[in-house]
Amino acid sequence: MLEIRNLHARIADGREILNGVELVVGAGEVHAIMGPNGSGKSTLAGVLSGRPGYEVTEGSVLYQGQDLLALSPDARARAGVFLAFQYPVEIPGVNNMYFLRAALNSLRRARGANELDAGQFLKAVRAKLKLLEIGDDLLQRAVNAGFSGGEKKRNEIFQMAMLEPKLAILDETDSGLDIDALKLVAGGINKLRAPDRAMVLITHYQRLLDYVVPDRVHVLSGGRIVKSGDKTLAAELERHGYAAYEAA
Amino acid sequence: MIVKAETAPYVEAFAQRDGTDEPHWLAARRAAALANFGDKGFPTRRQEAWRFTDLRPLQRAAFPPVSGDGSAPFALDAYRCPGATHRLVLVDGKVAPALSDLGALPEGAFLASTAETLAEAPDLVAAALEESDAQGNQPFASLNAAFFTDGFVLALEPETVLERPIEILHLTSAGAPRSHHVRNLVRLGTGSRAVLLETYAGAGAHWTNSVTALHLREGAALHHARLQDESAEALHFAVNRAHVGRQARYRSFVLTLGGRLSRQDMLVRLDGEGAELALDGAYLLRGEQEATNATFVDHAAPGCTTRELFKGVVADRAHGVFLGSISVRPEAQKTDAHQLNKNLLLSRRATVDTKPELEILADDVKCSHGATVGDLDEAALFYLRTRGIAEGEARRMLIEAFAADALERVEPAALRAYLAHHLQAWLGRGEEGGR
Repeated sequence: MLEIRNLHARIADGREILNGVELVVGAGEVHAIMGPNGSGKSTLAGVLSGRPGYEVTEGSVLYQGQDLLALSPDARARAGVFLAFQYPVEIPGVNNMYFLRAALNSLRRARGANELDAGQFLKAVRAKLKLLEIGDDLLQRAVNAGFSGGEKKRNEIFQMAMLEPKLAILDETDSGLDIDALKLVAGGINKLRAPDRAMVLITHYQRLLDYVVPDRVHVLSGGRIVKSGDKTLAAELERHGYAAYEAA
Repeated sequence: MIVKAETAPYVEAFAQRDGTDEPHWLAARRAAALANFGDKGFPTRRQEAWRFTDLRPLQRAAFPPVSGDGSAPFALDAYRCPGATHRLVLVDGKVAPALSDLGALPEGAFLASTAETLAEAPDLVAAALEESDAQGNQPFASLNAAFFTDGFVLALEPETVLERPIEILHLTSAGAPRSHHVRNLVRLGTGSRAVLLETYAGAGAHWTNSVTALHLREGAALHHARLQDESAEALHFAVNRAHVGRQARYRSFVLTLGGRLSRQDMLVRLDGEGAELALDGAYLLRGEQEATNATFVDHAAPGCTTRELFKGVVADRAHGVFLGSISVRPEAQKTDAHQLNKNLLLSRRATVDTKPELEILADDVKCSHGATVGDLDEAALFYLRTRGIAEGEARRMLIEAFAADALERVEPAALRAYLAHHLQAWLGRGEEGGR
């Protein structure tokens, strides 16, 4: 599904943030990438989603066998890649339903499927709300505008449910959430796990992994994956911290 | 009279016009207005109010004041207001009876073309003329007074309420450049209410020069929306002078989409205590378009409210100008006035000049003003794109959201929908070029 080889990337001021990331994620797998602040977690999410401001200097990213880095951000999404933002952007004046329907229909067009009309779209929305067991209170508001931290993250998970990606990258989706919101978001992620869907959870803390059990856990430090293991690695990190990996 | 070169064609045309069947009072008013125009000449950039306006497109060609005969065929569908209305259509500055449908007006409501009104109720036409035509600093309004032959007059007796909107369509047909001078009057008696939609559209490189006098008596309410969607070669000048009485409410919205060179002068005097004004607008410009919105609000009575929001979207090499002046007289205590102009620049060569001004001579007031000029929000654009929305569509969504925000106060909803539809049509005409 996703194959990252020797990925090097730098930011506008020339600082090298990723220093040879190696990561292979198979279909149906959930991988957690953990690491201290400044380890390159958000840069990795940015590079994978095509965020402006990063330059890949070496290495490759293959998604379903194609060169992901050659695609524009919207083409990546149409190919089935989804990024849940650490800080979802507020877009005043753009209605959430209108936005989601435009997004879903552009994905459907790319797949050669018919576009959904307002009625069909509403039906699909209701089905996903039911699946995630969440309310419809956010739908008629402007995209993320004035949302609380928890509402923004819930909206991200809802979008993921609607757009049904093949590869979901969740960037610090657990940050800034109280325990109830965390459970809600984690429950959503669990319901969206599927044999043909890979997920990459980027997180600083282990607590999300109390609710979402990953297949693999990786430690990112200094722009490289320095250790990989199963779910027990996360618990070990929780006990001992990142100190052992800081200078790696 | 010393005739300035640029005014000469108009002064000559006036000498040759046939006004023999007009009443003497009108002939005298016209002559005085033309003298003022000849005296003042075209405005120049040395005048503060015209500093940012490039009048060269008006000076490069002659626009003889010739009205059509109101018979040019038109398909109205693109500009019709949905639902039942009282409709008056003018083609090339002359009322077109075949396209108009006034419907059944309630008792106490008068709606007619200015030409008809001159025959039936000349006092109303006299009310559409102002002292300033003969002496003021709006030379194009003076020129209009000299040449107008038609327009519309809406007059409501006290307590008259119009349920349907009044729909005025000003259309121009293709053909040689000419100028159309329309003179309009809206007079709302005490406690009367109306919704008025004016649309200016059509083909050709003409000059539309429109002047409208609005008088709202005590407790009257007017929702007034205007769409200027003329051709990209057209010139459009409009002067609207409103007098808003005690406890009266005036809501004005102007959407500027068309015209090579256009200018809206909105002069509002809040005459009576507790008058309320909403003065909003949006301008979306591309190519070589230039548009000015100049607003002058005079708080002449205590306890009046002004809410003013103009939003501009400027692409390519277009130029947007906002001049906003609010003055609060010493007696206008408890004034509550807020003015804001926000602009979105879509290209490096697009420009905006914005000049919000407050002059406050009373001490117990709440007033604010502000202006912003910015680019499209790159973070929002990226967010939309990560959801699969292509860049062009994402840009259109963000531009529409920015501009449509100004429509929020437009009522009723059908009017808001009409304006939103034309705003979307503008966006659909293509992504702006040359960034």
